[in-house]
Amino acid sequence: MEELRVQRLPLSTRAEAEHEKARFEEALGKTRTELLALASRLGDLIEGRQLIDAHILLVDDPILKRDVHRRISEGMLNAEYAVSQVLSEVIERFESMKDPYTRERSADVRDVGRRIINQLVGAEKEALMKLDMPVVIVARELDPSVTAGLRKDQVLGFATDEGGSTSHTAILARSLGIPAVVALREAAETVQPRQMVIVDGIHGRVIIDPEPDEILYYTELGKRYREAQAALARKSDTPVATSDGRPVELAANIEFSQEAEAAKNCGARGIGLFRTEFLRLLTPDADDEEVQYKAYSHVVKTLAPYPVIIRTLDLGGDKFLGTPGLHERNPFLGYRAIRICLDRPEIFKRQLRAIMRASADGDARLLIPLVSEVSQVVATRGLLAGISADLTSDGIPHNPHMPVGIMVETPAAAIGIDLFLPHVDFVSIGTNDLTQYTLAVDRGSPYVARLFDSMHPAVLRQIASVVQACHEAGKWAGVCGQMAAEPLSVPLLLGMGVDELSVSLSQIPDIREMIGIIDTSMARDLAGRALELPSASEVRSLVRTAIAGRFPGILIDGDGAGG
Amino acid sequence: MFQQNVTVPNRLGVHARPAALIVKKASAFKSEIGIAAGGEEVNGKSIMGVMTLAAGQGTELLVTASGPDEQRAVEELCALIGSGFGED
Repeated sequence: MEELRVQRLPLSTRAEAEHEKARFEEALGKTRTELLALASRLGDLIEGRQLIDAHILLVDDPILKRDVHRRISEGMLNAEYAVSQVLSEVIERFESMKDPYTRERSADVRDVGRRIINQLVGAEKEALMKLDMPVVIVARELDPSVTAGLRKDQVLGFATDEGGSTSHTAILARSLGIPAVVALREAAETVQPRQMVIVDGIHGRVIIDPEPDEILYYTELGKRYREAQAALARKSDTPVATSDGRPVELAANIEFSQEAEAAKNCGARGIGLFRTEFLRLLTPDADDEEVQYKAYSHVVKTLAPYPVIIRTLDLGGDKFLGTPGLHERNPFLGYRAIRICLDRPEIFKRQLRAIMRASADGDARLLIPLVSEVSQVVATRGLLAGISADLTSDGIPHNPHMPVGIMVETPAAAIGIDLFLPHVDFVSIGTNDLTQYTLAVDRGSPYVARLFDSMHPAVLRQIASVVQACHEAGKWAGVCGQMAAEPLSVPLLLGMGVDELSVSLSQIPDIREMIGIIDTSMARDLAGRALELPSASEVRSLVRTAIAGRFPGILIDGDGAGG
Repeated sequence: MFQQNVTVPNRLGVHARPAALIVKKASAFKSEIGIAAGGEEVNGKSIMGVMTLAAGQGTELLVTASGPDEQRAVEELCALIGSGFGED
């Protein structure tokens, strides 16, 4: 049951064990109800009914109940883990059987296990969605499916054991503008429920049971920080430009169509990256073309006349692994993004068609993630051409020349950019993945996360040469990764000639401010020198020295994520 | 306790569908029910147990029950198994 990836949480008291047993019983009951409902929907489909019947017998199996209870009370382990352990053994036993028919039944056990565990995890998810007072969430790692439903007004901060500055938690925290500290390794075990904690996202610290003067200090700091943010946000109607007047396209990264209004209000010149994975997660029928079209169309209309760049499904890697039975030793190098989409043209075509229809409502553009082969672009374009022809013959309005771009986030696309340019209208550099793949560093591993730095000269050189190649071909290049939102890298990116920066909403004020104090010749000079330096830390100190005193220190002296 | 032997007559043996029928029948009784093949006994009310019996055609099963309705339980289960579950 590895694909369930449940957490192992040792229990310390009898009462906790009893609580876990009760949760397990409740989950069994709910799974049973779920299966009965499914059976009644299946009606006369005899085959399906038999399968469900077999599943219900598994849920009712007295041995399952006895063994899980035993794991909980004797092993002092949480219900999810107990279930996955017990069923793993059953699956193993089934799979070792001679009879092929029995061997295949291990799939049923797996399926039922998944249902029970989903009920267990789902109950926690519900608890998080029903927060009735503001809290700090301390966890090993936040699961995207849980955070998607969080009541954002009730979350004061995040502290997680895993992840680096570009992990899901950190990205979410930044997009919500709330403090987060990640890669703490043992916070989830150390912090007790209802204990007071301070999350200092600027310095990357979590203070447990703070002293009165610490509380005073952080209350004030928080207040001033919010005031500064509000002040920056008020400047939103002034055009974004460098101090010598060169205009810069500053766009927003969004994950939800509901963010479109906020993006427009804070002065974003379009959406540089509309991630479409959350849409799929929140609405069970999001594979439906109509649901997708409505979401895309809303954003495109709201932001018109500015462009909205919609990225096609970027599943896999660390995002919403939805392929049952898929085990990869290295998911980041595996089955994800465009590789999955081209394999499942029925799902992919629905999304492409929805995006293409939205192109009639404004300036929609399409962005293909994780491209490493020219053929992936050619294949996508081929699908689009077919869809355009269908739409035309059905009389459905769309832009047959909707711009198509690629994410440059593999060294293959960066180094081979000239091979791709004839097939694309624009490129957007995804610095998180480009850094991860260039430096061979898993940004989610607390042991190596500190080696992850987009200011590494090997990353900077690729960005510089991609931008140059794009300009020579008369095409524009944007940056939508975390790097665009880091004040220190802004002068470098502008100096390398990047046409557009796309950052999450809460970072627009900071980046606008940063752009405003840079002048073009200084940026060019800095970028030129940075490309010759031997390490990321030297690049950082070069930029820091150059802009010292011209930018509020609070925004650049922290190493913590979020803020 | 009450017990009785029965031989699996049908060609496919106790596969998934027969196992489900056995468990459903066994669960209707109050008695504790065991089914053994080749010295290995499983709980007759556990689908996971009955399926792992891997009782093919011709296997001799020992059905045991203990409780208030033990005799009826054993007889009905042996009748079910002996009938070949309506298969050939």
